[in-house]
Amino acid sequence: MGTAVRTSAAPAWHRRRVRIYDREAPLGYLLLLPTLLVLGIFLLYPFLFGIWLSLTDSELGNLGAFIGLGNYRFEWTNTDGVFYTAVVNTFLYTGITTVFKLSLGLVMALLLNQAFPFRRFVRAALLLPYIIPTVLSYEAWRWMFDPTFSVVNWLLVNTHLVAYPGPNWLGVPFNAMAALMIVNVWRGTPFYAIAFLAGMQVIPLDLYEAARVDGATRWQQFTNITMPMLRPVLLVVLLLSTILTFADFQGPFVLTNGAPYNSTQLLSIWAYQWGIPGGAISLGAAISLVLFPLLTFVVAGVLFLLRRPE
Amino acid sequence: MPQGNKRAESGWSRRDFLKTAGVAAATLAFPEIIISCGSQSSSTSAAIPKPRKGASIRLLQWTSFVKPADAEFTRQALEWGAANGVTVAIERVTGDQLQPKTAAAVEAGAGPDIIQMQYGWPQLYTDSCLDVTNEVNILIGKLGKPDPVNEAFCKVKGTWRAIPYTVVPNAWTYRTDYFQQAGVSNFPTTWDELTAAAAKLKGTGKPISQTDGHAYGDSLTMWNPVLWGFGGKEVNADGKTVAINSKETRDAMKWAQGAVQAGFVVHPEWLDPDNNQAYHANRISGTLNGASIYIREKIEFHKYTDVTNNAPMPSGPKGTFAMNLIFNHAVMKWSPDAETARAMLLALMDQTNYQKWTTIASGYNAGPFEALHNDPIFASDPKLKAFQDVVAPGKWPGWPALPSKKTAQAQTQFIVADMFAKSLANGGTGDIEAAISAAETSLKAIFERP
Repeated sequence: MGTAVRTSAAPAWHRRRVRIYDREAPLGYLLLLPTLLVLGIFLLYPFLFGIWLSLTDSELGNLGAFIGLGNYRFEWTNTDGVFYTAVVNTFLYTGITTVFKLSLGLVMALLLNQAFPFRRFVRAALLLPYIIPTVLSYEAWRWMFDPTFSVVNWLLVNTHLVAYPGPNWLGVPFNAMAALMIVNVWRGTPFYAIAFLAGMQVIPLDLYEAARVDGATRWQQFTNITMPMLRPVLLVVLLLSTILTFADFQGPFVLTNGAPYNSTQLLSIWAYQWGIPGGAISLGAAISLVLFPLLTFVVAGVLFLLRRPE
Repeated sequence: MPQGNKRAESGWSRRDFLKTAGVAAATLAFPEIIISCGSQSSSTSAAIPKPRKGASIRLLQWTSFVKPADAEFTRQALEWGAANGVTVAIERVTGDQLQPKTAAAVEAGAGPDIIQMQYGWPQLYTDSCLDVTNEVNILIGKLGKPDPVNEAFCKVKGTWRAIPYTVVPNAWTYRTDYFQQAGVSNFPTTWDELTAAAAKLKGTGKPISQTDGHAYGDSLTMWNPVLWGFGGKEVNADGKTVAINSKETRDAMKWAQGAVQAGFVVHPEWLDPDNNQAYHANRISGTLNGASIYIREKIEFHKYTDVTNNAPMPSGPKGTFAMNLIFNHAVMKWSPDAETARAMLLALMDQTNYQKWTTIASGYNAGPFEALHNDPIFASDPKLKAFQDVVAPGKWPGWPALPSKKTAQAQTQFIVADMFAKSLANGGTGDIEAAISAAETSLKAIFERP
């Protein structure tokens, strides 16, 4: 009786609020709201603004008029070859480095998952390429590849692996592209390794013990337990790494800035050269978005694989 | 009828007619003189900007290669701020970071009140740079005509969008001991002599070297003057017609190939600091650079000061050309204290202050106005004269077209440098025709784009 009186006495707005808190779906959306706001402001808005920019003739500091696909058409039909070089290089750069980062990261994680002295220290040291400020580490690599002061060449020459003065790392197109990839692999491998290591540590040991009882070899344990259990982590890491490598800018910019003669040109640098120093921000936006449809397919494919039932 | 009445009737005497006709003829024949006179005469009615007490001014600059000069600039700015009750902050970033920072400020419509503009940025960011014609006219009244290159960069469609600040002259720095060892008594005065000298210096193991890569300064200051020296150009004076595919361009590239085959060493991997480092490390006998190599030897390293000398640009068949690094200051439209910013820039350009700064810069900077041309610093050391000599033949990227967004785009895409670099690949045996064709296509993409 008393309860009924208290309920009827509560104001209408209070009753509505209580109902919202009691229902799971509205509460879920309410709790999601701050995250959605942050994502909307910092991800969705810049992305949509970038798409809109690419469809206009805007210049730095001046919002322009809508010109449809004019910027995209300009690059695809431009016959100077730089854009196509950038597209091919971006694919090679992403594809080759991803294979190396994936393999080396996996090997590294397997090794770090073993018990050995100073294991914690080695695991922490693995993150060094991530801890060092990006530009600083790339400047160090530039110095290491410098033809005059190259410590890499000094090592190669003094171990008699190559003849003096050694390869010109950043001055010859093939070498320069290889140098960019080496540095990207150096920086990216720890990310794979740490992610794989985390994935390996949550695999139940019972599975390995059962496999050993059944007489499974190390290789069989790896292919039948480790790899299937790592699959979700592997796909997520692969997805993130592919996207980040496609858009990689800092390393290639510091190391070569597209030189020699645009042979190491990547879409990210080409977009920057048009958009920032060249002031054609709309064209820069179009260049950076040119692979968006393709990347969407890659992402969709990976997400599909992630959702596939075991 | 008296003479005066005749004049009153027609309103037009013979003297009036001759004066008017003379001015009209001169205007048609030499419009630039009249324009120049016009801007100078307007200085008489210029309003001198007044600083506002309590204002705050942020100025963004590059970190120069002569640190004491930066310190002196900051000292002067802070001193002026203290005297006028203005809070002044000087922010510095490396040369290659200056443009991204500037672009971010322009896009955001917020940032430093004053930004140091390099090359043709006033053309790129015109709408973000306030009209400073009044202040430039005040300076013209005090210091005389501005340097034509600074003027070309600062003036956009007849309006001054930046105040001329400085020229960083680029000349050759070389080792006299290696030159003597190779039997070369003086630095070459023509490009052909440079080829001969490079061949002789090859034997010393210390070559004359320069970048042909994507260095925002050294690559442009080297290969544009070579192109111009042989009569080549990217685009005609109309700023529209691409003119790179010419006999003159081929001549310039053939010279470059010959020089490299003889012993001139090009480094596509070098950025701006790399030739400095190679020189200080005793790896090369000569290179084209600002005065920083010589200055640092003189005041910091003291290893090769006595055997280092400097020389101006060699000449080509079509004359002597140079390209120097140019900086100007723009007052940005978002500044809440634009008048205070203008006043501060005028104070920093005061001849006494300016020459205190150039003295400490030790010859790295040259003044952009007539009265600053004979700066005593260049007379204080005969070895610095070369840096004074390269100011007059200086031109800008895209010359003879006036600086524009298009010339800035061609410059930042390193089209000229890349054209040379392609033909100089594999020891100077690259395909000249393919290199020119690629450059022509790239230039057309820029200059024919609506």
